[in-house]
This record gives sequence, C-alpha cells and structure tokens, in this order.
Amino acid sequence: MTFPSSLFGLTENGVLEWTATSEWILVAVALAVFTLGVSWWGSRGVRHRVASVGLLVPALLAMLWAVAGPVWVEGSGREVPGRTVVLVDNSASMSLVEDGQQRGEAALELLDSLGLEQAERFLFDSELKAWTTPDWTGGETDLGVALRAVRERYAGEKLRSVVVMTDGIDRGSLREQWMTEGTLTSPTVGGPLTVYSIGEQALIEDTAIREVRTGGFAFIRAPFTMTVTVVGDQAGADVPVTLSREGRLVARKRAVLDEQGSAELEFEVTPTRAGRFTYEVSIPVGPNDAVPANNTESVVVRVVRDRMRVLQVCGSPSLDQKFLRLLLKQDPAIDLVSFFILRTERDIPSGYGTEELSLIAFPYERLFTEDLESFDLVILQNFDYAPYFRWSADALLGNIADYVKGGGSLVMIGGDRSFDLGEYAGTPVEEVLPVKLGVQGEAIDLEPISPVVTEAGSRHPITRLLPDATENLALWERIAPLDGINRSRGAASGAAVLLEHPSLKDAQGRALPVVAVRAIGAGRSMAIMGDGSWRWSFTEAARGMGNQAYLRFWKNALRWLVGEESRVTLEGAMDNVRLGTAARLIGRVRDVGFDAQADVPVSLVVTDGTDKLNLEGTTGVDGEVRFEFTPPRAGAWRATMQVEGQRGAKAETVFAVTNRDPELEEVRADPGFLQALAQATDGLFVAMGEQATPLEDATATRKIADRNETPLWNHPFIPLVMALFASGSWWVRRRGGGR
Amino acid sequence: MSFTRRRLLEFAALGVGGLAFPRLSWALGESAKLDVAELKLASGTLQRPRAWERLLFELIQTTSVEARPESVALAPDDLALFDHPIAALIGNGPLPPMSDAAVEQLSRYLQYGGFLLVDDSSGLSDSAFDESFRALCRRLFPAKSLSPISSDHSIYRTFFLLDAPLGRVDTYPYLEGITLGETTPIVYCRNDLTGALDRREDGLDAANCVPGGEWQRRESIKLGINLIMYALTSNYKKDLAHVRRLQMEGRIE
Repeated sequence: MTFPSSLFGLTENGVLEWTATSEWILVAVALAVFTLGVSWWGSRGVRHRVASVGLLVPALLAMLWAVAGPVWVEGSGREVPGRTVVLVDNSASMSLVEDGQQRGEAALELLDSLGLEQAERFLFDSELKAWTTPDWTGGETDLGVALRAVRERYAGEKLRSVVVMTDGIDRGSLREQWMTEGTLTSPTVGGPLTVYSIGEQALIEDTAIREVRTGGFAFIRAPFTMTVTVVGDQAGADVPVTLSREGRLVARKRAVLDEQGSAELEFEVTPTRAGRFTYEVSIPVGPNDAVPANNTESVVVRVVRDRMRVLQVCGSPSLDQKFLRLLLKQDPAIDLVSFFILRTERDIPSGYGTEELSLIAFPYERLFTEDLESFDLVILQNFDYAPYFRWSADALLGNIADYVKGGGSLVMIGGDRSFDLGEYAGTPVEEVLPVKLGVQGEAIDLEPISPVVTEAGSRHPITRLLPDATENLALWERIAPLDGINRSRGAASGAAVLLEHPSLKDAQGRALPVVAVRAIGAGRSMAIMGDGSWRWSFTEAARGMGNQAYLRFWKNALRWLVGEESRVTLEGAMDNVRLGTAARLIGRVRDVGFDAQADVPVSLVVTDGTDKLNLEGTTGVDGEVRFEFTPPRAGAWRATMQVEGQRGAKAETVFAVTNRDPELEEVRADPGFLQALAQATDGLFVAMGEQATPLEDATATRKIADRNETPLWNHPFIPLVMALFASGSWWVRRRGGGR
Repeated sequence: MSFTRRRLLEFAALGVGGLAFPRLSWALGESAKLDVAELKLASGTLQRPRAWERLLFELIQTTSVEARPESVALAPDDLALFDHPIAALIGNGPLPPMSDAAVEQLSRYLQYGGFLLVDDSSGLSDSAFDESFRALCRRLFPAKSLSPISSDHSIYRTFFLLDAPLGRVDTYPYLEGITLGETTPIVYCRNDLTGALDRREDGLDAANCVPGGEWQRRESIKLGINLIMYALTSNYKKDLAHVRRLQMEGRIE
C-alpha cells in the first residue's frame, strides 16, 4: 500500500520513514489497548460501549501515529564542478635542504602559489593520510599506494585535477618497475595528473653506505665476504671505508666512485670465535653531507660452527685411544685431526730401517703454535710432551694454556704418560687443568675402581647420561670399572669434580677426582684420570646394553667443552634497533637438566663501551625474563645477563642501534621517475622552478545529493483528530451512565 | 724440565737390555694392556700362544704400544671376550656349527669395536676351513661378504709400508675382509701368518717360510705388527696429514 502523500501536500518521490524506536511503538500500542479496555468496561449497555470504543479508536490511532514519528523523505541532487585533489609527500626525504631551502617548505610555497585553497589536500608517505601540518618524518614513500587510495576514495567520480608534489624518491612498486623495466604501467588516477617535482638531482651533497651484504651468518675459521656499496654525488671520489667489530678496527679500504657515483668493495673476514658479533662499516662525514647518519651501517653476523675441529694427540696407540677415535671419527659433525706417537726414541734400535716405516714426523711445533687456534678442542691422551717439545716446552705449553684461557677447550686423559707421569706439574698447562699436580709418592693407583658420582656430577650435563636422576645414578653404579687412576693433589680452584674415587683421598681428606671439569678464562678444561673409559663402551656392549653410555658421556663432554651446552641464554628480538625505539631482550635460565628455573633474579648490563645501562629482572615460571629499554646512542651494543648468586652463569648477545632512516637511504631527487609517471598517465610534469598551473578536466562534475525530510507526526490534523474523537467517546460513555 | 725417576729408568732400561726386554711401563693396570684372545671351538681351530707372544713382544720392542705378550683362549660365546678387543681365529679344518648365541655375541663384538684376525693355517686353496669360515661370515653379517682388501688399505701402512700379505706361505697376494663403514673389523689371511710367527717349545721357529725363507718371516712379523696397529688405530693412516706427507716423500703413490 502506498502512502497517500498528496493528503499532506507532498510529492510522490519520497519514502516514509519512522523515527521512533520499535520499543516506544510497542509501549504505545499496549497503552492504546489498555485504554480501549478501560473504555469498554467503563461503559454501560452494548450500544454505548460500541459507540464509545468506536469513537476512541481513531483518537488512539492518531496518538500512535504521533508516537511513531513518521517522516516523509524526498531525495534530490545537483551538479557541481569536480574535485581537485592535492597529494603532498610527507616523507623524511622532504626534510632535506637543497640550495638553502627545505624540500618540504618548497612544496608548501608552491601549494600556496597555485591557489588551491579549495582543493582536497592529503599527505602521503607509505599510505594516504588526512591533511595536517606536515612534519616531514614519514617513511617508505609509496606514491602508487597513495594514488590507489585516492581512486578508491572517489570511486565512480571524475576528478577535476590530481596534483602530486614529491621529490620522486619512491620506495614502492611504481618506481621499482620503472627502474627495473624502464617502463611504467599507467596507474588509474581518476583525473588529469600534474606532478610537481620538488628537488633536483644535482643539488644535494651526500656520500653514503648504501648497503652491506653479509648473508647474516658465517662459519668459524672460514673466511666470509662482506660486500659494501658506497654511493656519492661525485664521480671519481676516493672514499676511505673502515670496517670495525664492536669498536675494534678490522680493516680499512678505499672505494673509488664510478661515473654513476657508486662503488662496491669487499672485505674478507675470518671469525675465530663462535657467537654473535656486530660489524660496523663507516665512511667520513663531509662538511656538507646531507645525511650523516647514512655514513655508517651496522650489521650483526652470527658465527657458527660448521664442524667441531678436534685435535687428538696420543702418546701411544691403546685401547682407550682406539675407542675414542672410533667415536670421534664416526661423528660427521667432527673434523678430527689425530696424531699418535707410534714409535718413541726407545723403540728406534729395533732392527727396522726408516725406509720400511710409514711414519711421519710429529709436527708438534706447528700444531701448538700457528694451528692451535684453529681447533675447538685439544685432547691430550696419555701424551707426554717432554720427548718432543724439548727446549720449546715452556713456549708450547704456554701456548696451550693461553689457548684455553682465550676460549679453547682442553681434555687431558690419563695413562702412564699423563698428568704427573707426563711431567705437567708446575707447567702452564697445569694452571688450566681441573686437578692439582705434583703428587708425592706413587703417581698412579692400579686398583680397578668404580667411580662415584658426586652431587655436582649428578646435575652436570656431562655425567647426566639418563634424564632421570635415579636411573642415571644406577647406570653409573653398574658401569664397567676403570683399570686404576692417575693420582692428583685434588681438584683445582674453581673446578667441579663429577666422578670421584671411592676410597682415595687428597691431603684435605676429599676424595680424589676421577673426572673433573673447569671453566677458566674464556675456555674450559676436563680431566679424565684414567685410560679405561673405553670399557664404558665395550663392556657395556658385552652386557647387551650397547655403547650409549660411552657415546653420551663423550658427546655431552664435547658439547660442554666447546660451550654449546649453555643453560643460560640471552637473545634479542631484533639484530638492528632504530635509535629512539625500544630494544627487547629475552633471557632464559635453566638448570643442569635444562628445566626452566622460575623466580631467579638476574641482572643485565648493556654497554656500547661508553654508556652502561643496568637492569634487573626475575624469571617467570617459563624460566624467561624479558627486558625492554631504549639505548641512548647509535652503535654496537653488547648485553650481558648474569644470574645472581651463580658465578659463571651468564649469557650475552649483541645488537646494533642505528640512526639510519630507511627513507634517507637515497637522498637525490628523482625527477626522471616523476616525468615517466606523468607521461604514463598523459599528465603534466613540472620540474623544480618551473611555473605551471595543474591540468584540469573542465567536464568533470559531481552530483551532490540533498535529503528533504517532512515530519508527518506533528501535522495539525493529528491533535484535532485526537481531541475530537476522544471527547466524543467520553461524551457517549457519560451519556450511557458510564464513568 | 726435570730429570725424573721415570726417565732415569728408561735410560737404564735402554742401556742395559733395551733390545732384549720390553721397556718398563706403568700402564694403568695389566688388564689395560693389549693382548690377544684366540677363539677356540670344539674343532677346526688351533691355538698358537707362542706366535702371539712373539708378535706382541716384537710390537712392544718396535712400537710405542703397551702390550702384555700373551694370549688367552676363549669360546666365542664367552663374555670375557669383551675384555680383549683384539681376537684371532686360526683354522686348521672345517668349523663346527656355531650356536646362534655365539654368532650374535661375535657379531656384537665386531660391531662395537672388536677386531678379528682370521688365519687359515693350511695355506691351501681348497681348504675345508675356508668354506666353513665363509659360511660363518654369512651368518655374522648377512648383508656383507668377504672381499679382497685393496693394496692401498691402511693395513699396508699402519706402521710398516708393505706390498704383500706374506705368511708361512705366499699363496694369496691379498688379504680379504669385511668392512663396516670405514673400518674392517674382520681380516682374513690365507697364507698361514701365525705359522710364520709360531715357535716350538725350545724357542726355534715352528716352520720354515716358503719360498722366501727368513726374509719372508720378517715380512710376516711386519704384517702382524701392522694388523695389531690397524686394530688400534683403524684408518688413522688414511688421514690427510699422513697421506700428503707420505706422498710428498715418495713413500706411497
């Protein structure tokens, strides 16, 4: 049913809308029904009741009409000229100063001069933004995204003019396509495009490190190449480039810029330690350099082991040596270099000529001087140095000690040529061993023994052969006995005894160590005071238990020795942190069984060598603690987390804080791209300094839709109907004797 | 560097009887020293303890290896076999069938690092021992087979540079073996190696070596030492540092 709009003097081009909510209408209906009921029961006689109620119905319908709030809505439109849309680049590159004037200021001056006050203005960087006072700090300019947003915003509407003001340093797909393919796919703009180029290519001075490529990780002791790209505005310029690692100079080179103002050079770096390191490449900052921040670039390189390099030196082929070599040789993650003394000076007069032998000279000098640093682990297995090192002994033993203190790992295994019998007492090597030498009396004890697991040994990853502590102890109790031990004067200071002798004691009454470990300097050492650990493999196999005990013991030992077994770790959320933003680090603390440790207080020291930040935290139930802080300065920062009350329980990581703005990686304006964009859209390109009014499409119009609302609920007819019929109803009811 | 008691004793040992006696040693217990287990079956095997005594004595004299110059006869299913990572099986006739338990243990012994030298004392091409031993190998390692050991194998350069595996006889110019991974835990000699090493009770050689006589016996001793050294050091002499050096000096190709 159509609404009889003509009754109210309205056109038929409209629709009826109700302004009251459905709740109010329901209340009104309920009230009307109640009123009808009252009127019915309040009248006497059927005739009067029918008349009274019949008269009341129109009055109540009028009341309902008024409550429902009917409105007659009529639509209409009118044609007006199309819009002019202005897009101004608000990215950081617009803050650069060219010829004494900031690019952004030049854009605003141009905007004023064009008289575009009525235009709809927007800012853009990585996206289209509402107009506000520009601050020239946006990043990642993407003109394509901005134009697409304009098109979507005014979909179906012809624009009179689209004006773009930018320096052309676009980091989106439009310019990328133009740079790689030399052409541009014409973007749909929605109106004639006028591009004002803000800035000129030749008017800015800047030399920068464009890029440093490392691959992100490197292998220890394997050279990796760091490729550096330097760009500048002066072809032929000779730019000194410095590579440093956390403040220490690594290398210097010179880059000569080619005709395009670019140069690429390579640094070859050979890391000697595993871990994470920050390398910084820098070039000098000239007096007129537009962006000093881009003269430095920091990269974090993770140095990993591809294979563990192990040197095994053995004083005599033996069963102990045989089984250890089998284990080391079978592990593809180990690069094993073995030297076994097959013949000593005492064996020489045995009737065989040298030409009959396949022996080679023992290259001890090279091994313990220039080659030493190339090993992750050195195993001296029942090796007596004296017959070989001779007059170089002090120097070579000193090298071994320095190697350990500097981060290397050393294992000394017992036998009749080892420890005191190898004459190591009082040498530099003793200083890094976990046991004290210089035993008075018998240096060995030949009684077969089953070593006892100490409290430290029950927790330590080396002697934790089974996950369950009870089962682990049971395994050590039943494992094959050793054929005696090398005696010592007890554990060295700071050493941990993992397995001890069941009966022999040192001078202080403590059980003699059988297996002991020690962290000294940056390195680690282990002593196995016997030559019978091979039985943990072969005798176990005889019992049908396989050789897992021996494999686990040695694999655990190798991992601990080279520092891969770390129960405390610290990781950064990002390798590179923008200056002024928060750096986030996550520390993890676990026990020797690698279970998370909760409620452990830790301290964090973050330093760049100049400033130092001190933070504290406590681990949660997951064993993790999170730190968030804002480094005050750009550069390489190293963070060290120390577990309170646990000496040596610490971890560290590095990260680079950079004040480089990605938007300023490139600073020279690119009018070529803007010209290509204008051409691709049949638009107008206006170079810096030129005067031109924007292109306009005079035919572009837009329709403005009007809405005319006529309220129907307040028509004078409504109260008239209500009063007339309600009065009639009342009168009839009273005449009938009703109340 | 101090002049220790041990070095004094070493000099004394060399000066007085260095060529006649094994040098003094404080190896950690006699049980830690190297010896040889001779496998003993109900028939088809024989024991030559004097051959091992002679070989291990030569080993001590010539190399830095600490050994106990003796052997012990054990059944292949004896758990004590695992106290002796080097074993020998000297055959003189067809081997009796070995129990499954013995085969399983012997296989485990070899897989976990044990070494077995097998010597056919007949020196004949149609020996009954040979056939039965090959059958045993098929039970020990069904997926492997005995194959000739190449002349550039570590066995020929672990201590001495050798050209041929000579024993009491010079019938076969090669050794055979079963290789697991990079090691060869079973080495089979058909030239009666232990026959060349064996002595009679009066100390004289038990048999003449043919055709090379004493020179051949000397080569046999060198082969025996190389085999023991191989059992201890496996492919050590294949390490690059050694190969390059020996090639540089023109001692190997």
